[in-house]
Amino acid sequence: MKIIDPETKSVIKTICPFCSFGCEFGVVFDDFGVKGVEYLSDGNTGGRLCPRGSAAGVFLNHPRRLTVPVKSGRAVDWVRIKQELKDILAKPDKVAVCFDRNITEEEHQAILGFCKGAGISHIASTYFEPERFFKVFIKRRKPVGLDQIDRAQQIVVLGDPFNQAPMISKTLINWKLSDRKNRLVVIDSINTHTAGFATDFLKVRAGTEPLLLLGLAREKSGDIDLAGTTGIESSIIDEVSQSFKSAENGLIIVSLAFGHTYDPVLFTEALIRFSKFSGKPVMPLFEFIGFPGNEHFGAVYNLIKKRKIKYLINFGELFPYYYPQVLKGVKGLNVCATSTLKFDGIDGLPAVLNLEKEGTIITTFGPAKLSGEIKPASGTMDVKALLDMMGGVTKKVSGINEPELKIDLKERIGAVVEKSTKKTRGYLLLGEKIAFNFMGFFETPQLKINPVDGEELKVRTGDRVYVQSKNGLAEVVVKLSIDVPCGVVSIPAETPDVRELFDFEIHQELVNFEPTEVKIWKKE
Amino acid sequence: MEKRIVLDLDLCCGCRSCEAACKAAFKGEARIRHGELQGIAYLPLACRHCKEALCMTACPVAAIIRDEKTGLVIRSSFLCIGCKSCAFACPFGVIDAPLVRHISQKCSLCSDRAEGPRCVSACSSGALQLLTDKKIEKHEVGVRFVSRNPFFRRRQ
Repeated sequence: MKIIDPETKSVIKTICPFCSFGCEFGVVFDDFGVKGVEYLSDGNTGGRLCPRGSAAGVFLNHPRRLTVPVKSGRAVDWVRIKQELKDILAKPDKVAVCFDRNITEEEHQAILGFCKGAGISHIASTYFEPERFFKVFIKRRKPVGLDQIDRAQQIVVLGDPFNQAPMISKTLINWKLSDRKNRLVVIDSINTHTAGFATDFLKVRAGTEPLLLLGLAREKSGDIDLAGTTGIESSIIDEVSQSFKSAENGLIIVSLAFGHTYDPVLFTEALIRFSKFSGKPVMPLFEFIGFPGNEHFGAVYNLIKKRKIKYLINFGELFPYYYPQVLKGVKGLNVCATSTLKFDGIDGLPAVLNLEKEGTIITTFGPAKLSGEIKPASGTMDVKALLDMMGGVTKKVSGINEPELKIDLKERIGAVVEKSTKKTRGYLLLGEKIAFNFMGFFETPQLKINPVDGEELKVRTGDRVYVQSKNGLAEVVVKLSIDVPCGVVSIPAETPDVRELFDFEIHQELVNFEPTEVKIWKKE
Repeated sequence: MEKRIVLDLDLCCGCRSCEAACKAAFKGEARIRHGELQGIAYLPLACRHCKEALCMTACPVAAIIRDEKTGLVIRSSFLCIGCKSCAFACPFGVIDAPLVRHISQKCSLCSDRAEGPRCVSACSSGALQLLTDKKIEKHEVGVRFVSRNPFFRRRQ
């Protein structure tokens, strides 16, 4: 790492490391350290940044930044950590190594080489966001740039990109305004900002987007009544499908929120089929693309449950604390995880933020270089330094492939139909993506409830309610909104206490989070 | 005044990048407020730097003054006593923010930044623009037909 001299350089141009969109921005320094971010008008997004990018400077000097190893709520020295790690590595068959979003390509390679040298065979990614499945598009096709939007005559949008990647909104809105003939079709189960700009808004029944996609791809799905299950008339599905196929230029933009659809795996497969049928490219928007391991996390999870794996070393910052229901399922496991921020009652090793690293990250527009000119926070350790501290031999790894997705279409369609037609006694909780609610930068997330349901529950906007699922209980603030249909409630699934509410299933070793039945009552 | 922040409601996608940019720059307290119109549209509220600024009239210690060169209504942090008179006087509710270090929060159009306000630079949909009075008169705001969605903002 180079150390910057504030007198000679005050703005460092780099890539925003908080998601895989890859916006260019500057970090401003003064004599006292990081001052904030600078919006670069010559950057790839014209200087525009989402709230996460704007908050980047805050995170570098965050008061909760972890700078010493913490164990059982107390700071411990590195000598003890080093000894513990050496003890763990003496039994490599009992160890699994995982990683998530806060590493670079180079660090990923270093971890793989270290595991090969140490004889650790269980390596997996713990990034469970639904967009992780979209990385199949990266493997098979070239990334699609924003210029594709300007060329398109029709665009089909799945989900709400204005919240997943607000940077896309100006391009999409300008495209919509530039020609009245341009047709924007939005598919979602709730009324979003993007849906507000749509020429046609197909409001599907909650969680059934994969079936609608199969319908658009004209796939034969047995005797399933598509209109009855998705709530969209067959004639409309046929018209949209035919019109999109015949359009000279088109684009499918996908942005899928956590716990929003019943089956992200089937969703991805249906998306591939729709793309092939229409001959149009897909622009998948992801917060993170996901590095491959030699296993899916579900396989590691099953081994932990059978007590064949006792130690988990995690490089990154989200798992296991962001998915409490997964952590509950692996009770008794020894976790040694890196983290950039302190969390109450959670152990962690102080990690370097991606923004402070030098290396490559994969973005929607292809690989991008991090500047490496920002000095890491004092006391933190990057992945390579941690691996060096653990010792061992690093071996060269030529390539690594996760097991391919095998999809039994009939079985998966049947499961989605069953779930969507099942009568629920409570409310169906959907996940939403809200860009501004990044790490609690703004206020408490609000639970959207239809006014009719609100009357039944005797709640008004601003009231506090309890939401309980079979996985957990959370206290949230109500917002009455006609954006959600009756019987359905939605919440930004950004914080661990909210994420905990969602059901998860492990199907073919893949972790899926889905819409979940919940009970709601007012806090007196 | 030379330039003002103008909001095109049709374009605002409610991402609140403007608020985040302001919040990150001014010690965790945004000077651009964020309202919602009956759940159908978002409304970022930026200081208008009024010609007859009521906040300026209401300030008991003359901490809010008009900069003769730029025409901006600015607040001196040394003189402000945190009485919130400006917040009560502002007809647009822009200054109505919690006190930070016992000082009221007031937009200065990011006078410390040569490129202009951070909220305008950060705006992801192009809804916030910094325009001169002459350009504002010619600017087509809210006259286009954006959406067919009956629940959303539009003007036919």
